Amino acid sequence: MVPIDKLSNKLNKPKLGIFKILKKLFPIVFASAPILFSLCMVFAILHGASWGVITMMQQRFFDQAALLVGNQTSLNKVIISFILLGIAYLVNNVLNGADNFIRDTVENKIMGKMSLAIHKKVARLNPIDFEDTSKLDNLNKAEQGKNNSVLFTLDFTSIFTFYLPYFVFMGWYLFSFKPILAVSLALIFVPMAATQIIRSKVFAKAEDKSAPVRREYDYYESCIVGREYYKETRLLGGFAFFNKMYLESLDILQKINYKATIKTNLIELSMQIFTVIGYFGVLLMLFHALMNQEISIGVFSAVFESIGRLYAMMRYVICGGIGNMAKSVGTIENYLNFLEMDERKSKVDIKPEWGDISLESVSFSYPNFELYAVKNVSLTLKKGETIAIVGENGSGKSTLLRLITGLYLPTKGRVTVSGFDTKDIPQKTLYENTTAVFQKYQRYQMILEENITISQNNKEYEESTLDNVCEVAGINKDDSGFTDGYKTMLSREFEGVDLSGGQWQRVAIARGLFRDHDLIVLDEPTAAIDPYEETRIYNRFADISRGKSAIIVTHRLGSAKIADRIVVMKNGEIKEIGTHDELVQAGKEYTRLYTAQEQWYS
Amino acid sequence: MDKIILKNKTYKLIDFIKIPFVICPFYTLAEIINKVLQALISPIQVLIIANFIDTAIDIFNGQAEKISIYLPLSLLMLIVAYSYLNEHLINFVNLKLRMRITTIYKKAIIEKRAKLQYQHIENNDTWDLISRTCGDPVERLIEGFVNLLNISNIVIRVVSILFILMTQVLWAGVVIIAISVPLFFLSIKAGKDAYEASKEAEKHKRRASYLNNVLLGRDSVEERTLFNYTDGVSNKWYEKYEAARKIVLKVDLKYYVKMKGSSIITLFISLCIIAVLLIPLSNGRITIGMFIGLVNKTLELVHAMSWELMEVMNKLVKNKEFLRDLTAFFGLSETEGALDLPCVTKDFKFENIEFKNVYFKYPGTENYILKGLSMLLQKNLHYAFVGINGAGKTTITKLLTGMYDNFEGEILINGKSIRNYSQAELKGIFSVVHQDFAKYYITLKDNIALGDILKFDKQSIYEAISLMDLDNLIDSLPDGINTYLGKITENGVDLSGGQWQRIAIARNLYSSSLIRILDEPTAALDPVAESNIYEMFSKVSNGKSTIFITHRLGAARIADEIIVIDGGKVKEKGRHENLLEKGGVYAQMFESQRSWYQ
Repeated sequence: MVPIDKLSNKLNKPKLGIFKILKKLFPIVFASAPILFSLCMVFAILHGASWGVITMMQQRFFDQAALLVGNQTSLNKVIISFILLGIAYLVNNVLNGADNFIRDTVENKIMGKMSLAIHKKVARLNPIDFEDTSKLDNLNKAEQGKNNSVLFTLDFTSIFTFYLPYFVFMGWYLFSFKPILAVSLALIFVPMAATQIIRSKVFAKAEDKSAPVRREYDYYESCIVGREYYKETRLLGGFAFFNKMYLESLDILQKINYKATIKTNLIELSMQIFTVIGYFGVLLMLFHALMNQEISIGVFSAVFESIGRLYAMMRYVICGGIGNMAKSVGTIENYLNFLEMDERKSKVDIKPEWGDISLESVSFSYPNFELYAVKNVSLTLKKGETIAIVGENGSGKSTLLRLITGLYLPTKGRVTVSGFDTKDIPQKTLYENTTAVFQKYQRYQMILEENITISQNNKEYEESTLDNVCEVAGINKDDSGFTDGYKTMLSREFEGVDLSGGQWQRVAIARGLFRDHDLIVLDEPTAAIDPYEETRIYNRFADISRGKSAIIVTHRLGSAKIADRIVVMKNGEIKEIGTHDELVQAGKEYTRLYTAQEQWYS
Repeated sequence: MDKIILKNKTYKLIDFIKIPFVICPFYTLAEIINKVLQALISPIQVLIIANFIDTAIDIFNGQAEKISIYLPLSLLMLIVAYSYLNEHLINFVNLKLRMRITTIYKKAIIEKRAKLQYQHIENNDTWDLISRTCGDPVERLIEGFVNLLNISNIVIRVVSILFILMTQVLWAGVVIIAISVPLFFLSIKAGKDAYEASKEAEKHKRRASYLNNVLLGRDSVEERTLFNYTDGVSNKWYEKYEAARKIVLKVDLKYYVKMKGSSIITLFISLCIIAVLLIPLSNGRITIGMFIGLVNKTLELVHAMSWELMEVMNKLVKNKEFLRDLTAFFGLSETEGALDLPCVTKDFKFENIEFKNVYFKYPGTENYILKGLSMLLQKNLHYAFVGINGAGKTTITKLLTGMYDNFEGEILINGKSIRNYSQAELKGIFSVVHQDFAKYYITLKDNIALGDILKFDKQSIYEAISLMDLDNLIDSLPDGINTYLGKITENGVDLSGGQWQRIAIARNLYSSSLIRILDEPTAALDPVAESNIYEMFSKVSNGKSTIFITHRLGAARIADEIIVIDGGKVKEKGRHENLLEKGGVYAQMFESQRSWYQ
């Protein structure tokens, strides 16, 4: 029973400033594709500049055209300025296409490279981190954060490479005619920036309010139409019950959104009125300058024309670019935190000979939990021995298993393999001799062969090896269910077949057996397999595991008998150890569990 | 109003306008008028700017009074004010429209989804269709609506600029029309091609995205670490990612070449027109103001006819895809009476259920799950269905509860075909605890009370609670039975799997149904808890019929009759002792399990 943390409802407030984030991101993103990235920057600069050149060429052409009216210039000059304008447009068009195309290319290329780095990093993490809610958020959002990081960096770079050159150019250009023009134009854009800031604040506030409601809303929807609820809600006649709550929460959501949107719309509208008034001022100023012969007709019309473009670009930067950046900062932080997560470090290059595994006063607690899941356990698994671990739900069986394999490191005490501490052995070497069938075995949406060989995907094998492990697990590749033998895709989604729960479990068993091992760990390996088959599998398993160490975790005490010793766990502690007969004679916890099950078969 | 939206029909482009219009005619009209006005402003702007510049030059040359500028100047300001403010004003309309559509449309969609025949939920293809269509239907509807408006906006703008051009230089307009028609079709084709290719890339992307989950997911962490498969799978991921990326790259390249190609063609034509316009300009047939206005607008055409046109056409293809999905979604078959409340069953006396030679296969599959199943279930008896995985035990539950009715043969309840019972009646007769029972994140009380939605009887709720040994749990909860369970509400309390299971069974106990089905509800329980539940159930189920589905034989022995199902047929039936004596399949299975305890 865990009360839900109220804080988790609140939005993550960014802790890092934009520049600090950028300082960390830029080198990573750049290094992923340095040449393409630089090319992208060059094209952006040229593209930005080409917009400025267009305005300039337009002005020159209009000036010449105006002179032509009064026959004050030669046709040749007009034509030259016309051709220059045409070239400017042509170049601009080509650059525009190239810039956008290169940017798309760079984006996807970098995302791919950075994903590879994420995969590697995840493989080096401590498996226990996946149980830590504070770290899980970083892990889950790292992928999205990575994509946002690329967009963020590219957007930010384009402000400096594309927009800034254009704005600077236009500023200088306007300044050269009439300094006040440049200044007052800049002022027009102040209200736009202010709106954007207020807007994001209003929506952040509304989001705080609507996030919990939205969660309820989504949930009630799934109660009616979610796959896991559908048949039960229908049979119970629960539609009206949930629909009422669904529509109520929709209504609340709409109201929150309505209020926030009306507010921001009003603010935007009033700010926009300022912008328009500023625009009027500029217009009057332009007209005045025109009358005073400070600027020509060409300048007037070119500037008038470019205000619209300047406005649109400015808006794109402030509302689009910077707005998106602000939204993605949260996940970007998750990504950066992920990159900084501690990796499992080990002393280099110990490769112990396979031997006994010893637990010395081992205790273990999960992150953020005070209670020990495993308490003060001492146990030795001798080379070649088979041990069964039994006990009630939540008694710590699976946790103990993870400590023995070295997936988890103990909080207190130590676990040794042939005398070497599991925390000193590099992860790769540590697991080299171990294989497992986990309780939560995976159903890989891959072909049957890959599903089995994934346990050791660098091993060279012949088809007879596959045949052998499949025989033990009870899989027949020639079964009509496997339409394409070992090449059958085990997933409907990828145009393959669906397996039943029992068949999947056999695949998991075959997978575990395929890997070369000295120790095999079986965590409830037959829960979904029918009794008759279960017996057969256990017998075959006992045959092939001779001479190898094995640990079996099971609910069904009957099957624990194949073990050399049985370990009985309760509340994280070892209650009893012994052979089946010894434990039955002792008449304690094991006997209690055993009789409860046995009575159904007597 | 619901009827108009919820129609099973072929949705066409026009429905993007019709649907908002039916829901909210005033605001829809306002949006349309605004878009048209926005387009018409463009040619008017040319005239106003021309007028302004010409007047300014006249004043400058002393041919006009300074006062004559005020009209063109105010017109210019008016047009500036309009183009900068209208979008913010229309935002208010947009908000209202969106809200109205959301309220009505969401309601219609959830009802349709809740009424679907159950097969659509289990079938992956239709489930994908449902998820796709219902992901964000309002947003996609509005996108389609806005995109149509944008297309007409572009068309009006281009046509009106052409009109002005033609009044100045007739043939220039004709040439542009001649060139823009093929460009228009090129855009449509480019949009389609890009869409087709992106579908091709989608296959690789889906594969890559799956592999990425394997490499990063929490579920796979144990196997990933122990088996150390990251490098191998990561390489495969990169192959797929690059394959998708290269397809997209090619499409992108083609797209840009086509778009920029049409840009450059339009640019070239525009430049020709401008060059020709120089002649009337030099001999004074058009003013410099008109010349400047026309040049700017002609160059604007380049943008409108490449970027903008391509973009809206690209979106149009996606909009059409949505309409296809919408058509298919509303065309999915429904179960009549699916939303009805259960019937009160007081007058109904359950006598028996009979299966007569029932054959059944899931829609869209080839293999029969039930192959000639025949059996008779009598009132007041406790049945156990046993058999290996995939033998068809759970399928029987789905047939009895009316989730599927496309079986062959006959299923009779009290001698009347199950197909003649309404959904409401079946809901009243049966209650089920599924293997994957629902955990409702509502109050504990409501969780149990849902078992019988027609009555509210606090006494019976407490009875169900004590039968399931939940009293201690309730004492420990902050608000007793009114405590919210699960992680949805802020003060919700999460329970362990075992506690949830007890609540699911308590819900079933509270139900007034005549026949209770327990479909392997103990699969995840440890031995002691398991045996306690069996005993408890045999105690409380007197007076009602119970069907207990299991593959653990120990549980079956308390049944009055055990029905062994194998290969979609009844293999054996009888009491535990009789079946053991008979020495058939059941005896064999039982022996193999018992052998572990001897």
